[in-house]
Amino acid sequence: MKTKNYLMLCAALSVVWVAGLLLVPPFSNGVEALIHMFLAANAS
Amino acid sequence: MLRIILQIIGVLALLLGLTLLTLRLVYKDADGPSRLFPGGALVSGEMHSGPEPDWSFTDDVFSVELQLLDPLGSRKIFVMESGNKVYVPSGYMRSTLGRLWKDWAFKADEGDGLAVARINGVRYERQLIRIMDPTVIAGVASKLAQKYGGGATPEAITGVEKSVADGDTWIFEMAPRGASQ
Repeated sequence: MKTKNYLMLCAALSVVWVAGLLLVPPFSNGVEALIHMFLAANAS
Repeated sequence: MLRIILQIIGVLALLLGLTLLTLRLVYKDADGPSRLFPGGALVSGEMHSGPEPDWSFTDDVFSVELQLLDPLGSRKIFVMESGNKVYVPSGYMRSTLGRLWKDWAFKADEGDGLAVARINGVRYERQLIRIMDPTVIAGVASKLAQKYGGGATPEAITGVEKSVADGDTWIFEMAPRGASQ
C-alpha cells in the first residue's frame, strides 16, 4: 500500500477505533478483556 | 511482502497505543475503575458507618473497587473473607510487568494504607495492612483458592501459601482505620 493511502487508512481507523472505545461500551469492554488476558498470560 | 507485514504491525501498534491512551484518560478521574485501567476517587454510594459488617457476604462478590487515598487511584480487585475479616490480594509482585501493573500495592505497603472500598455500591473506609502471618494466610489462601482458583484443594492452597511466602502474592487485610495503631 502506498504511504499516502496507508496514512489515510491509519487516520480513518484511529477515528473509528477511538469513537468505538468512547461510545460503544461492549467494544471497549471486549478490547480491555483481550488486553487483560494477554497481561495475565505473560505477567509471570 | 515485508512492507505489508510492517504496515500491519504499524496499524496494530497504533490501535494498541490509542486504546491505552484513550481508556487511561477516560478512567483517570472517573468514579471508579474499569477492569484494567485505574479510576479516580470513589465518590458515589453510601458510606458505611457503625459496627463491622458480617463480611461473609463477600463470598458472592467477584471483585470490589479499591481506592487508595495517597496516591489517589482506584482499581478492581479480588476479595476474600476469613475469620470475619476481609482481605485483598495482589499477584505477580516479583515480575517486571507486575511491578508496573500492581504499583498500588507497593504504594499501600510503603505508605499509610488508607483506602476506601466500594462493595455492592456501599463504601467502606479501610486501612490496608499487609499480612504475613502464616496462620492467617492459611485461611485466606483457602478462600482465594476456593473462589478464584477452581477449588480449595490441598495443592491449590499450598500453591497460594508458597506464592505468598515467596513474595509473588501479597495479601492485605482491609482493616478498620486505626486498627494498625
